Amino acid sequence: MYNSFELNESVRRALDLYSPSLIRIAFAYLKNTADAEEVAQDVFLAYLQKRPVFDNGEHEKAWLIRATMNRSKNMLKAGWFRSRNPVPEDLSYLPKEESDVLQAVLALDKKYRIPIHLHYYEGYSIQEIATILEAKPATVGTWMARGRAILKEKIGGIEDEEVCL
Amino acid sequence: MKKSVYKSAMSHLKTSENFQEATYNKLMKHKETMNMELSKKRKVIGWTVGIAACAALAVGIITLNQDAPASTPSSQPTTSVMTKPPTMGKMAVNIDGIISEVCEDGKSFKVGELWVDVTDQTKLGSSEPTAAKPSDELLQKKFEVGDIVSGYTSQDVSTGKVTADVIYNLIAPEKEDEAQDSEAKPAVQGKVAVNIDGVISEVSEDGNSFKVGDLWVTVTQETKMGIDGPTTAAPSEELLQKEFKVGNIVSGFTTDDVSTGKVNATNIYNNMAPQQ
Repeated sequence: MYNSFELNESVRRALDLYSPSLIRIAFAYLKNTADAEEVAQDVFLAYLQKRPVFDNGEHEKAWLIRATMNRSKNMLKAGWFRSRNPVPEDLSYLPKEESDVLQAVLALDKKYRIPIHLHYYEGYSIQEIATILEAKPATVGTWMARGRAILKEKIGGIEDEEVCL
Repeated sequence: MKKSVYKSAMSHLKTSENFQEATYNKLMKHKETMNMELSKKRKVIGWTVGIAACAALAVGIITLNQDAPASTPSSQPTTSVMTKPPTMGKMAVNIDGIISEVCEDGKSFKVGELWVDVTDQTKLGSSEPTAAKPSDELLQKKFEVGDIVSGYTSQDVSTGKVTADVIYNLIAPEKEDEAQDSEAKPAVQGKVAVNIDGVISEVSEDGNSFKVGDLWVTVTQETKMGIDGPTTAAPSEELLQKEFKVGNIVSGFTTDDVSTGKVNATNIYNNMAPQQ
């Protein structure tokens, strides 16, 4: 249990360390920066209210990622979110190659998109992604292989790149 | 897909510049609100608990005292609830009032709405170490209608019938004529008597009145002459002359008001001629 000062420090440190990752995971789900930031704020609010105790930094990050994914899914399910017609995120400020890759990944089905994000951006292994997504590693491997195949058709890729289980 | 391209693209994703600061401020504000709500909640709980405790206490006190006697003395039969120390956990109810009915066997009587049985277990008189032995006057042997009784019972008075634990007093009421007499006469009777003592300076024509100092004294048929007592000698002619004369030394007293300047003598002890 934290005291007030420790809690404040803990929240500030988590914000510094994990907010960019959480916003991007939420973005991978929602395809919108504003919504992603809202989800990330909700997650930190939950962190403040629940005051969870973690074994280490990795444990803390995993909890925050899991919370971000759950809230993102909830937002996707929400009626107001589904009924609206959002303006697509303007990624024109990115270099063309980066923009094309990002647009291609965001166009993937969610079940391929999230493992690919966790692997290519966060650097998690299939085993770790399987733990985070509460799925079998083989299943995660299959999702990633299929997603990569789709991307390869669209934008090309590294021929010899393999997914290690 | 090149790993570096996707990671670079995500890294270059534009987010709010002050996201961290804004989020931190929002969280701290929320925390303050939470603390205030918690404080309010605690305050409300505290008040609620306090009020509930007061209410429970008040109900308890009212329940215990609902049969308490009036604070002013009254001749009406009353019963009161008296709590013993909490360690005892037993209530005693005073039996205090005038007997309005007595059972045929004489062992039960009614005070107010309460029938009280007197059994072998009932103590008569006070057993306190400093209490005087009960007199027959204060603790009569027979219960009669109109007697003033006091004592207590530890039984439940709500049943309307109890057995007395102790009867302290059973006093017969004062008789009516006695009471009237005692009311008519003052407790201490007194009458002022003024001595008549001195030399006669003037005598009236009829010889029945004389003047001593500034006071005219009349001797009537009601006036006692001489001293009547078991040890006193019979009045002699020398000490109690029949005729009042100027210069005679006279002594006696009157119960009349001397301020009027004229009184009737109640008693004349002596009426002596002055020595030659």
